[in-house]
Amino acid sequence: MASRVNESGWNSPHGTLEPVSRSLSPDQRFAAENAFSSVLASTIREAVGDALGRNVLEILTLKGLLDATNNSKEFDSKLRSLFGNGAAVLERIVVKDLNRKLGIRYDSEASFDYEKSLETAREVCFVESRLK
Amino acid sequence: MFRGEQTEVSGSEILSTLLGSEVRGDLLVLFHRNPGLIDTVDGVARRIGRTTVAIISEVRELLELGVLKQKRIGASEVVYLDRTKDRELLESVANHLKTLKVGEER
Repeated sequence: MASRVNESGWNSPHGTLEPVSRSLSPDQRFAAENAFSSVLASTIREAVGDALGRNVLEILTLKGLLDATNNSKEFDSKLRSLFGNGAAVLERIVVKDLNRKLGIRYDSEASFDYEKSLETAREVCFVESRLK
Repeated sequence: MFRGEQTEVSGSEILSTLLGSEVRGDLLVLFHRNPGLIDTVDGVARRIGRTTVAIISEVRELLELGVLKQKRIGASEVVYLDRTKDRELLESVANHLKTLKVGEER
């Protein structure tokens, strides 16, 4: 997993490319979705655990927060209900780790959108699966 | 350079301080992933890809909370994780989170 891309998205000299997911077969898409879900879930666990410790991670698991990792909107909303403004800090840690794993550049100075960042990461996972 | 003033603070306040900025989040992750790390503020800044100026006030916040400690080694002031205090603080955060309901606005 080493494609190096810009976090802002996929661009060609002629403009933004279509999402890679459309060019995959249903089986490839399913496998890519699973691969992405898996890497995202483990990254969230690592990030929360490393930032706030195992006890906090256990509580979040018990509260079902980690069941919502695939739905970035729901996860963001649940995270905000517990951490308030701190949710954005946790999300940045998650995206930074996820981007590092996927070879995506992370710019801490750029404006941050959790959902968009995950979309970019998902596209990278789909590209990886197409290249396999 | 820093003074570690430790007073009784609630789990909610601890959480607000710990996650008060992206840099503080990076510092927490760095020290939790490397609990034996002892380094100067300059060195810590380099490790998280920031400048000393960008992290100095954030380090100070964590020193005041007590999660980090400071000592002199030779000519250098170094910072390190106070593992006992860190465990206590994170326990308070965990107890605070237990009382909250997911989905309720804070």
